[in-house]
Amino acid sequence: MTENNKDIAAMSYEQARDELVKVVAELETGSTSLEESMRLWERGEALADRCEQWLSGARDQLEKAAKAKKSGS
Amino acid sequence: MPEQIPADSNLSRVSTELSPWSVSNFTATLKDWITKLGNVWVEGQISQISPKKDVFFGELRDLVADKGVSIHSRRPDVLSSISELAAGDRVVALVHPDFWERSGKTSMDVLAIRKVGLGELLERIERLRQQLIKEGLTLAERKKPLPFLPNLIGLITSAGSDAEKDVLQNSKLRWPEVRFKLQHTPVQGDKAGPEIIKAIELLDADPEVDVIILARGGGSFQDLLVFSDEQVVRAVANCKTAIVSAIGHENDRPLTDEVADLRASTPTDAAKTVVPDVVEERKKLAQAIERINLRVITFVRNQLELVAGIRTRPIFANPFTLVEERALQINQARQGIFSQLDNHIQKQQLLVSGLRAQVRALSPKLTLDRGYAVVRDTNGHVLTDPAQTSSGNKLTITLAGGELQATAD
Repeated sequence: MTENNKDIAAMSYEQARDELVKVVAELETGSTSLEESMRLWERGEALADRCEQWLSGARDQLEKAAKAKKSGS
Repeated sequence: MPEQIPADSNLSRVSTELSPWSVSNFTATLKDWITKLGNVWVEGQISQISPKKDVFFGELRDLVADKGVSIHSRRPDVLSSISELAAGDRVVALVHPDFWERSGKTSMDVLAIRKVGLGELLERIERLRQQLIKEGLTLAERKKPLPFLPNLIGLITSAGSDAEKDVLQNSKLRWPEVRFKLQHTPVQGDKAGPEIIKAIELLDADPEVDVIILARGGGSFQDLLVFSDEQVVRAVANCKTAIVSAIGHENDRPLTDEVADLRASTPTDAAKTVVPDVVEERKKLAQAIERINLRVITFVRNQLELVAGIRTRPIFANPFTLVEERALQINQARQGIFSQLDNHIQKQQLLVSGLRAQVRALSPKLTLDRGYAVVRDTNGHVLTDPAQTSSGNKLTITLAGGELQATAD
Protein backbone atom coordinates (compact mmCIF):
# COMPACT_ATOMS: atom_id res chain seq x y z
CA MET A 1 0.00 0.00 0.00
CA THR A 2 1.32 3.43 -0.76
CA GLU A 3 2.35 5.94 1.86
CA ASN A 4 -0.67 8.11 1.11
CA ASN A 5 -3.12 5.58 2.46
CA LYS A 6 -1.58 5.20 5.95
CA ASP A 7 -4.38 7.24 7.56
CA ILE A 8 -6.91 4.56 6.62
CA ALA A 9 -5.62 2.19 9.33
CA ALA A 10 -6.89 4.59 12.01
CA MET A 11 -10.32 5.01 10.42
CA SER A 12 -13.57 3.70 11.90
CA TYR A 13 -15.72 1.52 9.69
CA GLU A 14 -18.15 4.34 8.95
CA GLN A 15 -15.38 6.76 8.05
CA ALA A 16 -13.79 4.21 5.71
CA ARG A 17 -17.10 3.23 4.12
CA ASP A 18 -18.22 6.85 3.61
CA GLU A 19 -14.93 7.68 1.96
CA LEU A 20 -15.14 4.57 -0.21
CA VAL A 21 -18.55 5.81 -1.43
CA LYS A 22 -16.95 9.18 -2.16
CA VAL A 23 -14.07 7.49 -4.08
CA VAL A 24 -16.59 5.65 -6.26
CA ALA A 25 -18.50 8.89 -6.88
CA GLU A 26 -15.28 10.69 -7.85
CA LEU A 27 -14.23 7.93 -10.25
CA GLU A 28 -17.71 7.96 -11.76
CA THR A 29 -17.37 11.57 -12.80
CA GLY A 30 -14.66 10.24 -15.25
CA SER A 31 -13.03 13.66 -15.31
CA THR A 32 -10.02 12.60 -13.34
CA SER A 33 -6.54 12.13 -14.79
CA LEU A 34 -5.00 8.70 -15.08
CA GLU A 35 -2.68 9.50 -12.27
CA GLU A 36 -5.60 10.62 -10.10
CA SER A 37 -7.61 7.56 -11.21
CA MET A 38 -4.71 5.32 -10.15
CA ARG A 39 -4.54 7.08 -6.76
CA LEU A 40 -8.32 6.86 -6.23
CA TRP A 41 -8.32 3.22 -7.28
CA GLU A 42 -5.53 2.33 -4.87
CA ARG A 43 -7.19 4.32 -2.06
CA GLY A 44 -10.53 2.71 -2.87
CA GLU A 45 -8.96 -0.76 -2.61
CA ALA A 46 -7.36 0.21 0.71
CA LEU A 47 -10.65 1.61 2.04
CA ALA A 48 -12.50 -1.52 0.95
CA ASP A 49 -9.81 -3.61 2.67
CA ARG A 50 -10.27 -1.56 5.85
CA CYS A 51 -14.01 -2.01 5.71
CA GLU A 52 -13.75 -5.75 5.22
CA GLN A 53 -11.20 -5.96 7.96
CA TRP A 54 -13.69 -4.23 10.27
CA LEU A 55 -16.56 -6.47 9.23
CA SER A 56 -14.66 -9.73 9.41
CA GLY A 57 -13.33 -8.64 12.81
CA ALA A 58 -16.89 -7.99 13.99
CA ARG A 59 -18.04 -11.36 12.70
CA ASP A 60 -15.14 -13.10 14.38
CA GLN A 61 -16.08 -11.48 17.66
CA LEU A 62 -19.70 -12.49 17.17
CA GLU A 63 -18.78 -16.08 16.51
CA LYS A 64 -16.40 -16.15 19.38
CA ALA A 65 -19.13 -14.86 21.70
CA ALA A 66 -21.60 -17.43 20.41
CA LYS A 67 -19.09 -20.20 20.88
CA ALA A 68 -18.25 -19.02 24.42
CA LYS A 69 -21.92 -18.94 25.27
CA LYS A 70 -22.44 -22.44 23.96
CA SER A 71 -19.49 -23.99 25.76
CA GLY A 72 -20.17 -21.92 28.88
CA SER A 73 -23.78 -22.94 29.56
CA MET B 1 -85.33 -11.40 147.98
CA PRO B 2 -83.17 -11.05 151.12
CA GLU B 3 -79.47 -10.37 150.77
CA GLN B 4 -77.53 -13.42 149.69
CA ILE B 5 -75.00 -14.89 152.02
CA PRO B 6 -72.25 -16.88 150.33
CA ALA B 7 -72.63 -20.63 150.63
CA ASP B 8 -69.18 -21.11 152.12
CA SER B 9 -69.79 -18.58 154.92
CA ASN B 10 -70.34 -19.92 158.42
CA LEU B 11 -72.86 -17.20 159.07
CA SER B 12 -76.61 -17.78 158.97
CA ARG B 13 -79.37 -15.28 158.89
CA VAL B 14 -82.00 -17.48 160.51
CA SER B 15 -80.09 -19.44 163.15
CA THR B 16 -76.83 -19.62 165.07
CA GLU B 17 -74.40 -22.37 165.93
CA LEU B 18 -75.57 -22.22 169.52
CA SER B 19 -79.26 -22.35 168.67
CA PRO B 20 -79.54 -24.53 165.49
CA TRP B 21 -82.81 -25.48 163.86
CA SER B 22 -84.15 -28.92 164.24
CA VAL B 23 -84.38 -30.92 160.96
CA SER B 24 -88.17 -30.84 161.16
CA ASN B 25 -88.10 -27.10 161.56
CA PHE B 26 -85.72 -26.96 158.58
CA THR B 27 -87.81 -29.23 156.35
CA ALA B 28 -90.95 -27.39 157.33
CA THR B 29 -89.35 -24.11 156.40
CA LEU B 30 -88.11 -25.60 153.08
CA LYS B 31 -91.57 -26.89 152.29
CA ASP B 32 -93.00 -23.51 153.13
CA TRP B 33 -90.52 -21.73 150.81
CA ILE B 34 -90.92 -24.14 147.95
CA THR B 35 -94.70 -24.30 148.00
CA LYS B 36 -94.82 -20.51 148.07
CA LEU B 37 -93.99 -20.53 144.34
CA GLY B 38 -97.50 -21.79 143.68
CA ASN B 39 -98.73 -23.39 140.47
CA VAL B 40 -96.55 -23.15 137.35
CA TRP B 41 -97.18 -24.13 133.73
CA VAL B 42 -94.08 -25.94 132.49
CA GLU B 43 -93.18 -27.36 129.12
CA GLY B 44 -90.81 -30.27 128.86
CA GLN B 45 -90.19 -33.77 127.76
CA ILE B 46 -91.56 -36.58 129.85
CA SER B 47 -89.28 -39.48 130.72
CA GLN B 48 -88.98 -42.38 133.15
CA ILE B 49 -92.65 -43.07 133.42
CA SER B 50 -93.43 -45.54 136.18
CA PRO B 51 -97.15 -45.86 136.16
CA LYS B 52 -98.84 -47.52 139.05
CA LYS B 53 -102.43 -48.06 139.78
CA ASP B 54 -103.13 -44.99 141.83
CA VAL B 55 -99.91 -43.05 141.76
CA PHE B 56 -97.48 -41.83 139.10
CA PHE B 57 -93.82 -41.01 139.42
CA GLY B 58 -91.77 -39.66 136.60
CA GLU B 59 -89.36 -37.05 135.35
CA LEU B 60 -89.89 -33.93 133.29
CA ARG B 61 -86.80 -32.90 131.39
CA ASP B 62 -85.84 -29.72 129.59
CA LEU B 63 -86.30 -29.84 125.83
CA VAL B 64 -82.73 -28.79 125.17
CA ALA B 65 -80.64 -28.55 128.31
CA ASP B 66 -79.67 -31.51 130.45
CA LYS B 67 -81.96 -30.53 133.32
CA GLY B 68 -84.97 -32.14 134.89
CA VAL B 69 -87.34 -32.38 137.85
CA SER B 70 -89.22 -35.22 139.44
CA ILE B 71 -92.94 -35.28 138.98
CA HIS B 72 -95.70 -37.24 140.59
CA SER B 73 -99.45 -37.32 140.77
CA ARG B 74 -102.30 -39.13 142.44
CA ARG B 75 -105.07 -37.38 140.57
CA PRO B 76 -107.20 -39.79 138.53
CA ASP B 77 -107.63 -37.37 135.61
CA VAL B 78 -103.85 -36.80 135.47
CA LEU B 79 -103.22 -40.55 135.75
CA SER B 80 -105.53 -41.22 132.83
CA SER B 81 -103.77 -38.51 130.74
CA ILE B 82 -100.37 -39.93 131.61
CA SER B 83 -101.43 -43.45 130.67
CA GLU B 84 -101.69 -42.21 127.08
CA LEU B 85 -98.19 -40.68 127.08
CA ALA B 86 -94.91 -42.29 126.09
CA ALA B 87 -91.43 -41.43 127.24
CA GLY B 88 -90.00 -38.60 125.12
CA ASP B 89 -93.36 -36.94 124.59
CA ARG B 90 -93.48 -33.21 124.75
CA VAL B 91 -95.90 -32.05 127.38
CA VAL B 92 -97.25 -28.94 129.03
CA ALA B 93 -98.06 -29.48 132.65
CA LEU B 94 -99.48 -27.42 135.48
CA VAL B 95 -97.34 -28.37 138.45
CA HIS B 96 -97.26 -27.49 142.07
CA PRO B 97 -93.79 -27.70 143.66
CA ASP B 98 -93.91 -30.04 146.62
CA PHE B 99 -91.38 -30.92 149.24
CA TRP B 100 -91.44 -34.23 150.94
CA GLU B 101 -90.31 -33.78 154.46
CA ARG B 102 -89.84 -37.46 155.04
CA SER B 103 -87.09 -37.85 152.38
CA GLY B 104 -86.13 -34.21 151.88
CA LYS B 105 -86.82 -34.42 148.18
CA THR B 106 -88.68 -32.03 145.96
CA SER B 107 -91.13 -33.28 143.46
CA MET B 108 -93.74 -31.57 141.36
CA ASP B 109 -97.29 -32.45 141.96
CA VAL B 110 -98.89 -32.59 138.55
CA LEU B 111 -102.30 -30.92 138.62
CA ALA B 112 -102.89 -31.16 134.88
CA ILE B 113 -100.89 -32.51 131.96
CA ARG B 114 -101.38 -32.64 128.24
CA LYS B 115 -99.31 -33.57 125.26
CA VAL B 116 -98.21 -30.64 123.18
CA GLY B 117 -100.25 -31.04 120.02
CA LEU B 118 -98.89 -31.09 116.49
CA GLY B 119 -100.86 -27.98 115.60
CA GLU B 120 -99.46 -26.18 118.59
CA LEU B 121 -95.89 -27.21 117.75
CA LEU B 122 -96.37 -26.13 114.16
CA GLU B 123 -97.75 -22.83 115.32
CA ARG B 124 -94.82 -22.30 117.64
CA ILE B 125 -92.34 -23.18 114.90
CA GLU B 126 -94.13 -20.82 112.55
CA ARG B 127 -93.93 -18.05 115.14
CA LEU B 128 -90.19 -18.64 115.50
CA ARG B 129 -89.84 -18.70 111.69
CA GLN B 130 -91.51 -15.27 111.49
CA GLN B 131 -89.25 -14.01 114.28
CA LEU B 132 -86.16 -15.25 112.40
CA ILE B 133 -87.39 -13.58 109.21
CA LYS B 134 -87.98 -10.35 111.13
CA GLU B 135 -84.42 -10.50 112.49
CA GLY B 136 -83.12 -10.90 108.93
CA LEU B 137 -81.53 -14.28 109.66
CA THR B 138 -83.10 -15.86 106.58
CA LEU B 139 -82.02 -13.19 104.05
CA ALA B 140 -80.35 -14.41 100.90
CA GLU B 141 -77.47 -11.91 101.22
CA ARG B 142 -76.66 -13.43 104.60
CA LYS B 143 -75.97 -16.81 102.98
CA LYS B 144 -72.29 -17.57 102.65
CA PRO B 145 -71.11 -19.19 99.43
CA LEU B 146 -69.91 -22.78 99.63
CA PRO B 147 -66.26 -23.45 98.76
CA PHE B 148 -65.88 -24.90 95.27
CA LEU B 149 -63.57 -27.65 96.48
CA PRO B 150 -63.92 -28.06 100.26
CA ASN B 151 -60.72 -28.48 102.22
CA LEU B 152 -62.22 -30.23 105.25
CA ILE B 153 -65.93 -30.91 105.61
CA GLY B 154 -67.37 -30.87 109.11
CA LEU B 155 -70.14 -33.43 109.41
CA ILE B 156 -72.56 -33.43 112.33
CA THR B 157 -74.75 -36.49 112.47
CA SER B 158 -75.44 -39.49 114.64
CA ALA B 159 -72.84 -42.24 114.73
CA GLY B 160 -73.39 -45.04 112.23
CA SER B 161 -76.59 -43.52 110.87
CA ASP B 162 -77.82 -43.84 107.31
CA ALA B 163 -77.44 -40.08 107.00
CA GLU B 164 -73.75 -40.37 107.80
CA LYS B 165 -73.29 -43.23 105.33
CA ASP B 166 -75.20 -41.34 102.63
CA VAL B 167 -73.05 -38.24 102.98
CA LEU B 168 -69.73 -40.09 103.19
CA GLN B 169 -70.41 -42.58 100.39
CA ASN B 170 -71.84 -40.07 97.95
CA SER B 171 -69.03 -37.63 98.64
CA LYS B 172 -66.32 -40.24 98.10
CA LEU B 173 -68.02 -41.39 94.93
CA ARG B 174 -67.75 -37.87 93.54
CA TRP B 175 -64.33 -37.08 94.94
CA PRO B 176 -62.28 -39.95 96.38
CA GLU B 177 -59.85 -37.55 98.11
CA VAL B 178 -62.58 -35.74 100.10
CA ARG B 179 -61.81 -35.20 103.81
CA PHE B 180 -64.27 -35.11 106.70
CA LYS B 181 -64.15 -34.12 110.32
CA LEU B 182 -66.92 -36.06 112.02
CA GLN B 183 -68.86 -34.91 115.06
CA HIS B 184 -71.23 -37.56 116.31
CA THR B 185 -74.21 -36.31 118.29
CA PRO B 186 -77.64 -37.61 119.15
CA VAL B 187 -80.08 -36.17 116.61
CA GLN B 188 -83.21 -36.50 118.69
CA GLY B 189 -84.13 -36.53 122.32
CA ASP B 190 -83.27 -34.18 125.14
CA LYS B 191 -79.49 -34.49 124.68
CA ALA B 192 -79.52 -33.70 120.96
CA GLY B 193 -79.84 -29.90 121.18
CA PRO B 194 -76.87 -29.11 123.42
CA GLU B 195 -74.66 -31.69 121.66
CA ILE B 196 -75.48 -30.31 118.24
CA ILE B 197 -74.78 -26.76 119.39
CA LYS B 198 -71.46 -27.89 120.89
CA ALA B 199 -70.55 -29.69 117.65
CA ILE B 200 -71.37 -26.62 115.52
CA GLU B 201 -69.22 -24.39 117.74
CA LEU B 202 -66.36 -26.87 117.73
CA LEU B 203 -66.33 -27.23 113.93
CA ASP B 204 -66.82 -23.49 113.43
CA ALA B 205 -63.71 -22.87 115.53
CA ASP B 206 -61.58 -25.20 113.38
CA PRO B 207 -59.89 -23.06 110.70
CA GLU B 208 -59.39 -26.12 108.50
CA VAL B 209 -63.12 -26.76 108.26
CA ASP B 210 -64.57 -24.63 105.47
CA VAL B 211 -68.04 -26.13 105.25
CA ILE B 212 -70.27 -27.92 107.76
CA ILE B 213 -73.04 -30.38 106.98
CA LEU B 214 -75.72 -30.90 109.57
CA ALA B 215 -77.35 -34.18 108.54
CA ARG B 216 -80.14 -36.36 109.80
CA GLY B 217 -82.15 -39.01 108.06
CA GLY B 218 -85.89 -39.02 107.79
CA GLY B 219 -88.07 -39.30 110.86
CA SER B 220 -91.36 -38.28 112.36
CA PHE B 221 -92.19 -34.63 112.87
CA GLN B 222 -91.30 -34.97 116.53
CA ASP B 223 -88.03 -36.69 115.71
CA LEU B 224 -86.94 -33.63 113.75
CA LEU B 225 -88.10 -31.09 116.31
CA VAL B 226 -84.63 -30.42 117.67
CA PHE B 227 -83.75 -28.89 114.29
CA SER B 228 -86.43 -26.30 114.86
CA ASP B 229 -85.31 -25.60 118.41
CA GLU B 230 -84.55 -21.93 118.81
CA GLN B 231 -81.11 -22.41 120.32
CA VAL B 232 -80.03 -24.92 117.70
CA VAL B 233 -81.40 -22.70 114.94
CA ARG B 234 -79.55 -19.66 116.32
CA ALA B 235 -76.34 -21.66 116.60
CA VAL B 236 -76.67 -22.50 112.89
CA ALA B 237 -77.44 -18.85 112.06
CA ASN B 238 -74.41 -17.64 114.05
CA CYS B 239 -72.05 -20.17 112.53
CA LYS B 240 -69.31 -18.29 110.65
CA THR B 241 -68.41 -21.29 108.52
CA ALA B 242 -70.72 -22.08 105.60
CA ILE B 243 -73.25 -24.59 106.88
CA VAL B 244 -75.60 -26.90 105.03
CA SER B 245 -78.81 -28.14 106.61
CA ALA B 246 -79.68 -31.64 105.39
CA ILE B 247 -82.48 -32.86 107.58
CA GLY B 248 -84.98 -35.60 106.79
CA HIS B 249 -86.63 -35.82 103.42
CA GLU B 250 -87.60 -33.43 100.67
CA ASN B 251 -90.83 -32.39 102.45
CA ASP B 252 -89.30 -31.70 105.84
CA ARG B 253 -88.66 -28.04 106.51
CA PRO B 254 -87.04 -27.66 109.93
CA LEU B 255 -85.97 -24.11 110.79
CA THR B 256 -82.28 -24.93 110.39
CA ASP B 257 -83.12 -25.07 106.67
CA GLU B 258 -84.15 -21.42 106.80
CA VAL B 259 -81.03 -20.01 108.41
CA ALA B 260 -78.42 -22.37 107.01
CA ASP B 261 -76.35 -21.10 104.09
CA LEU B 262 -77.75 -23.88 101.96
CA ARG B 263 -80.67 -26.24 102.34
CA ALA B 264 -80.19 -29.77 101.06
CA SER B 265 -83.31 -31.90 100.74
CA THR B 266 -81.53 -35.03 101.96
CA PRO B 267 -78.07 -36.03 103.25
CA THR B 268 -77.32 -37.47 99.77
CA ASP B 269 -78.27 -34.14 98.24
CA ALA B 270 -75.94 -32.39 100.72
CA ALA B 271 -73.03 -34.54 99.54
CA LYS B 272 -73.84 -33.70 95.92
CA THR B 273 -74.09 -30.00 96.68
CA VAL B 274 -70.98 -29.67 98.81
CA VAL B 275 -68.66 -32.00 96.92
CA PRO B 276 -68.15 -31.32 93.23
CA ASP B 277 -68.19 -34.40 91.06
CA VAL B 278 -64.46 -34.45 90.61
CA VAL B 279 -64.60 -37.85 88.93
CA GLU B 280 -67.04 -36.47 86.36
CA GLU B 281 -65.09 -33.21 86.04
CA ARG B 282 -61.88 -35.13 85.43
CA LYS B 283 -63.64 -37.18 82.78
CA LYS B 284 -64.90 -34.00 81.10
CA LEU B 285 -61.43 -32.48 81.34
CA ALA B 286 -59.90 -35.54 79.72
CA GLN B 287 -62.50 -35.34 76.97
CA ALA B 288 -61.82 -31.67 76.45
CA ILE B 289 -58.09 -32.30 76.21
CA GLU B 290 -58.71 -35.09 73.75
CA ARG B 291 -60.84 -32.78 71.63
CA ILE B 292 -58.20 -30.08 71.73
CA ASN B 293 -55.56 -32.59 70.67
CA LEU B 294 -57.75 -33.81 67.84
CA ARG B 295 -58.35 -30.26 66.67
CA VAL B 296 -54.66 -29.45 66.70
CA ILE B 297 -53.74 -32.69 64.95
CA THR B 298 -56.39 -32.08 62.28
CA PHE B 299 -55.23 -28.52 61.84
CA VAL B 300 -51.61 -29.53 61.49
CA ARG B 301 -52.53 -32.32 59.08
CA ASN B 302 -54.56 -29.94 56.91
CA GLN B 303 -51.74 -27.44 56.87
CA LEU B 304 -49.26 -30.16 55.93
CA GLU B 305 -51.49 -31.21 53.04
CA LEU B 306 -51.80 -27.61 51.97
CA VAL B 307 -48.05 -27.14 51.99
CA ALA B 308 -47.53 -30.45 50.18
CA GLY B 309 -50.04 -29.27 47.56
CA ILE B 310 -48.18 -26.04 47.09
CA ARG B 311 -44.91 -27.91 46.82
CA THR B 312 -46.18 -29.93 43.86
CA ARG B 313 -47.03 -26.75 41.92
CA PRO B 314 -44.75 -26.27 38.82
CA ILE B 315 -42.91 -23.38 40.34
CA PHE B 316 -41.81 -25.54 43.31
CA ALA B 317 -41.56 -28.81 41.41
CA ASN B 318 -39.01 -27.18 39.10
CA PRO B 319 -37.88 -23.88 40.50
CA PHE B 320 -35.35 -23.64 37.61
CA THR B 321 -38.20 -22.57 35.32
CA LEU B 322 -37.94 -19.23 37.07
CA VAL B 323 -34.43 -18.79 35.71
CA GLU B 324 -34.78 -20.92 32.65
CA GLU B 325 -37.61 -18.89 31.18
CA ARG B 326 -35.65 -15.73 31.58
CA ALA B 327 -32.46 -17.33 30.32
CA LEU B 328 -34.38 -18.46 27.26
CA GLN B 329 -35.64 -14.95 26.67
CA ILE B 330 -32.14 -13.56 26.99
CA ASN B 331 -30.80 -16.25 24.69
CA GLN B 332 -33.41 -15.37 22.13
CA ALA B 333 -32.53 -11.72 22.50
CA ARG B 334 -28.88 -12.61 22.10
CA GLN B 335 -29.65 -14.71 19.01
CA GLY B 336 -31.62 -11.78 17.68
CA ILE B 337 -28.70 -9.50 18.23
CA PHE B 338 -26.37 -12.01 16.59
CA SER B 339 -28.54 -12.43 13.55
CA GLN B 340 -29.14 -8.70 13.33
CA LEU B 341 -25.46 -8.04 13.52
CA ASP B 342 -24.74 -10.84 11.08
CA ASN B 343 -27.31 -9.41 8.74
CA HIS B 344 -25.83 -6.00 9.10
CA ILE B 345 -22.34 -7.29 8.48
CA GLN B 346 -23.46 -9.21 5.41
CA LYS B 347 -25.17 -6.15 4.02
CA GLN B 348 -22.13 -4.08 4.68
CA GLN B 349 -19.89 -6.70 3.10
CA LEU B 350 -22.13 -6.71 0.05
CA LEU B 351 -22.00 -2.96 -0.02
CA VAL B 352 -18.23 -2.91 0.36
CA SER B 353 -17.65 -5.54 -2.35
CA GLY B 354 -20.04 -3.63 -4.60
CA LEU B 355 -18.11 -0.46 -3.99
CA ARG B 356 -14.86 -2.30 -4.57
CA ALA B 357 -16.22 -3.62 -7.87
CA GLN B 358 -17.26 -0.11 -8.83
CA VAL B 359 -13.85 1.23 -7.91
CA ARG B 360 -12.25 -1.41 -10.08
CA ALA B 361 -14.59 -0.92 -12.93
CA LEU B 362 -13.95 2.78 -12.98
CA SER B 363 -10.20 2.46 -12.40
CA PRO B 364 -7.58 1.80 -15.02
CA LYS B 365 -7.56 -1.81 -13.91
CA LEU B 366 -9.62 -3.10 -16.82
CA THR B 367 -7.24 -1.36 -19.21
CA LEU B 368 -4.34 -2.99 -17.41
CA ASP B 369 -6.11 -6.33 -17.75
CA ARG B 370 -5.98 -5.93 -21.47
CA GLY B 371 -2.12 -5.77 -21.38
CA TYR B 372 -1.57 -2.07 -20.94
CA ALA B 373 0.86 -0.92 -18.33
CA VAL B 374 1.25 2.27 -16.36
CA VAL B 375 4.77 3.51 -15.73
CA ARG B 376 5.49 5.81 -12.80
CA ASP B 377 8.62 7.43 -11.46
CA THR B 378 9.81 7.17 -7.89
CA ASN B 379 7.54 10.05 -6.96
CA GLY B 380 4.54 8.11 -8.24
CA HIS B 381 4.01 10.42 -11.25
CA VAL B 382 2.69 8.65 -14.34
CA LEU B 383 5.14 8.84 -17.26
CA THR B 384 3.47 9.66 -20.54
CA ASP B 385 6.73 10.71 -22.41
CA PRO B 386 10.23 9.07 -22.36
CA ALA B 387 11.62 12.56 -21.93
CA GLN B 388 10.09 12.59 -18.48
CA THR B 389 12.85 10.29 -17.28
CA SER B 390 16.51 9.68 -17.96
CA SER B 391 18.84 6.71 -18.12
CA GLY B 392 19.38 5.00 -14.78
CA ASN B 393 16.18 6.23 -13.17
CA LYS B 394 14.07 3.82 -11.22
CA LEU B 395 10.62 3.12 -12.69
CA THR B 396 7.53 1.40 -11.36
CA ILE B 397 5.48 -0.48 -13.97
CA THR B 398 1.96 -1.35 -12.90
CA LEU B 399 0.55 -4.38 -14.66
CA ALA B 400 -2.78 -6.07 -14.17
CA GLY B 401 -1.12 -8.70 -11.95
CA GLY B 402 0.90 -6.27 -9.84
CA GLU B 403 3.80 -3.86 -9.82
CA LEU B 404 7.17 -4.38 -11.48
CA GLN B 405 10.31 -2.42 -10.60
CA ALA B 406 12.54 -1.40 -13.58
CA THR B 407 15.38 0.92 -14.48
CA ALA B 408 15.47 3.17 -17.57
CA ASP B 409 18.40 2.39 -20.00
